[in-house]
Amino acid sequence: MNDMENESISKGLEEALKSFDTKTKQVTAGYFDQFEMDLMQKIKAQKQAPKRAPIVALFLDHKQYLVAASLIFAIATGLLFFNTGEKNNAAIAKVETIDIETLPDEMIEAYVNNNEIVAEVEWNSAIESAGTNLISINN
Amino acid sequence: MTDQALIIQFQNGDSKEGAFTQLLKRHRENVFFQIKKMVLDHADADDIAQAVWIKVWKKLDGFKQESAFSTWLFRVAYNETLNFIAQKKRLKTHNTQNEIDHAFDHPSDQNGLKETTIQIKLERAIAELPEKQRFVFLLRYYEAYDYEKIASITGTTVGGAKANYHQAVKKMTELLQQA
Repeated sequence: MNDMENESISKGLEEALKSFDTKTKQVTAGYFDQFEMDLMQKIKAQKQAPKRAPIVALFLDHKQYLVAASLIFAIATGLLFFNTGEKNNAAIAKVETIDIETLPDEMIEAYVNNNEIVAEVEWNSAIESAGTNLISINN
Repeated sequence: MTDQALIIQFQNGDSKEGAFTQLLKRHRENVFFQIKKMVLDHADADDIAQAVWIKVWKKLDGFKQESAFSTWLFRVAYNETLNFIAQKKRLKTHNTQNEIDHAFDHPSDQNGLKETTIQIKLERAIAELPEKQRFVFLLRYYEAYDYEKIASITGTTVGGAKANYHQAVKKMTELLQQA
């Protein structure tokens, strides 16, 4: 032990370490034989236990690239969906605009005529109520 | 038969159990006592040692003999011991420190031997060393392994192993000198 020449330990510590060694080496008689038996039994039990199929992680070495690719795919899909949605909404709005514009004049006139009377009644009521107010003011 | 020859026999599948038990008989005591000095408790040491040898059985086929068998064996023991200690720390409650104090203040009287105050102090000092430092010290002092071997076992450098050893000696000396 050449290195030990420079590793001086006090006498007190040395004695304590010797006692510690003696104490930790105390085992019951036959302990190690029993240890061996218990160990070999455990090993046999493990050999007989049904084996689980190992889960093989594919591409484990390139996991970070797969994660990055998945993220890019998710973002791209989201953007595509978002843009497609907006176009659809615009198309619907346009269709509605076009539909109104393409209504025939006859249809528009019929609608106005049918609702003219209603509009006239409502207008006359408004005038009457205004007139009543004027009379009351003058009086 | 040498360790190398027994390992070859094991790896060839030629009386695997026979080769293994011979290796076990040759090294079991050193490994067990190293572990027991680390954890102090016999039952814990027994559990860890069993785990170590089960791992050896499982991994020995792949052991390339780039280092001595004992180096590899103690490396397994080192890892299993540290894992055990870490796991035990995680499971412990806030009363742990009180339990440790109580254990050292009221030592068990094993086999009729009374523990002296200095022995109790030493055990406490060893228990207070960081685990890696403790393992390095025990290997150096009791197994007289050279620093290259200790560095290989604990995954440190030769300089690191030397520093660990000297730090351990210094701390234990200081603790023993305390009243």
